[in-house]
Amino acid sequence: MSLGLERLTSCFQGIIPAMLYTCAADGTPNAAFLSHVEYVDATHVALSFQFFNKSRRNIAENPHAVVHVTDPDTAQGWALRVTFDRSEISGPIFDAMHWRIEAIASYCGMKGVFKLLAADIYTVESVDPIPEEDGQADRSAPPLRARPPDPVFTMKALQDLSQQINTADCLEHLLDSIVVGLKQHFNFSHSMIALASEKPGTLVMIASRGYPQSGAGAEVQFGEGIIGLVAEARKPIRISGLLRGMLHAYAAKRRAEEKGWCSDERRVPLPGLDNPSSQLGVPLMVRGELVGVLCIESETPYRFHEEDKTAIELLGSYLAVAIQNMQLRGDEAEPEAAPVDTAPAGSGTRHELIYHRDEEVVMLDGEYLIRSLPARILWKLLETYQREGRVEFTNRELRLDKSLNLPGFKDNLETRLLLLRRRLDQKGGAIRLVPKGRGRFALAVSGALELMARD
Amino acid sequence: MTSVPMIDEILAEFLQSGLGIHVGTRNEQLLPAGCRATAIKVEDDGRHVVVFVPKSAAPAVFENLRTNGRIAVSMARPADDRAAQVKGLMMFSWDANPDEEALARAQWAGFLAQLDGIGLPGIATSSWRVFPCRAVRVKVTAVFNQTPGPDAGAALP
Repeated sequence: MSLGLERLTSCFQGIIPAMLYTCAADGTPNAAFLSHVEYVDATHVALSFQFFNKSRRNIAENPHAVVHVTDPDTAQGWALRVTFDRSEISGPIFDAMHWRIEAIASYCGMKGVFKLLAADIYTVESVDPIPEEDGQADRSAPPLRARPPDPVFTMKALQDLSQQINTADCLEHLLDSIVVGLKQHFNFSHSMIALASEKPGTLVMIASRGYPQSGAGAEVQFGEGIIGLVAEARKPIRISGLLRGMLHAYAAKRRAEEKGWCSDERRVPLPGLDNPSSQLGVPLMVRGELVGVLCIESETPYRFHEEDKTAIELLGSYLAVAIQNMQLRGDEAEPEAAPVDTAPAGSGTRHELIYHRDEEVVMLDGEYLIRSLPARILWKLLETYQREGRVEFTNRELRLDKSLNLPGFKDNLETRLLLLRRRLDQKGGAIRLVPKGRGRFALAVSGALELMARD
Repeated sequence: MTSVPMIDEILAEFLQSGLGIHVGTRNEQLLPAGCRATAIKVEDDGRHVVVFVPKSAAPAVFENLRTNGRIAVSMARPADDRAAQVKGLMMFSWDANPDEEALARAQWAGFLAQLDGIGLPGIATSSWRVFPCRAVRVKVTAVFNQTPGPDAGAALP
């Protein structure tokens, strides 16, 4: 007979803390809050094992337990009578729990301390409603989350977004059409795309929507936050009760700090929303290669349903191919270098640019502007502009310039130029890169420039 | 001779501040059973508590308390997951009187306000059957820290 466990997947998103009731061999009962409960299959759940605690010791003596979970949609509580089966320290169930906990831990500076030791697998013997947590009595109460989308709506949204993406004629339009389309067709208001950087183990933010700052140029290390963890795991990660998870982790952190296990210095600032409650990150992969990461956020707990996760995963595969194709198309039919042009009249404002060669960082008026390959490109353009007065350039000449040290294959030049353009726009437009048709662009300078290179 | 309280005033204030409370019991075969509790009152001696358990809770909880009296009461503050657990033995129980019910309602309201503060508005405000309550008087035998982390489970104070 079916236990109906598969209908309780909403309960396992960590919105409302779960409880674990155990009993020691000497007959002492124990009631403990649970960090994570994961659906395994129709007759099994997995509980997170993060610290050696009383519950774990009790289970070693007496494998019978009761787990209480609550459905965030209906507020109905469910009692799962369970028996310990086995511990897993690898495999898909462990991985799913591990990456979710890692994402939370990374935000709290708790990586390596707040971690999953094992996924404890329990056989579920019965599932019964909890009488005092009756979610059926008041159906007029507002649900905690919106209902999951209709599959027909999801397919239509995917179709509409795909059409929008297909009309994009350059990388910039493609990336913008993705984040705009996610809002238009799925009503996901906060989204961002980070693409693989030329620096190993690093992504760079390239497009976003729904935030006060675009964040273009922000670097994300593999393993940092949900974006970095998705890149590291190369698997989708969904966190539905991020705030609850972080509260749990912060509580553990305070105790760990008191014991000198970790310090505040490793805290990674949250990119995006100040207080996200739900996050969904999917890797953008093409034939095993990581192109980037798409991340969607919401301040609503459990905003992203299982159906959303499936749809965005599907979309991610499509986007990865589209982005990579657009990056590779940069080599096609590029024109010869444009005639030398003169700079537009300056406004009289003077701007100081310093290039730190050893760090490959360009500073504009004392503030960080950009680093790595985009910094080398910018410095090349500025030096040419200063020396020759030329303002029009081509992608082709950049590719042929050995001093830039571009990789010979898949140099992602368009991505770097787009990133550079967005960073310059963010900095007030004293210097801008203006697209002039396929493979050509112009340097627009407002004011006088003072260039200094330092080793 | 005055007995040393198991629960000092500071801890008592925390426990009665409107927390998420859960009660664990077990039967003669050591099979656990649990339920949500509505409120808790720490007696002045710091060695006894009264736990307000919804009368709607699973019959097994009350049956277990009646037959062996062993009880664990877990309490956590939603805002920061600070948590403690009281272990003890049920002395006796009764239907909560109006004054006790008022105390329980005040604590429950505090708990709901905390849920609201962490983005769970509306949950359990109307449909959960946490009243009326059975007042369960417990002799405290041990108190433990249960805040998540490396020393969860350490004895308090």
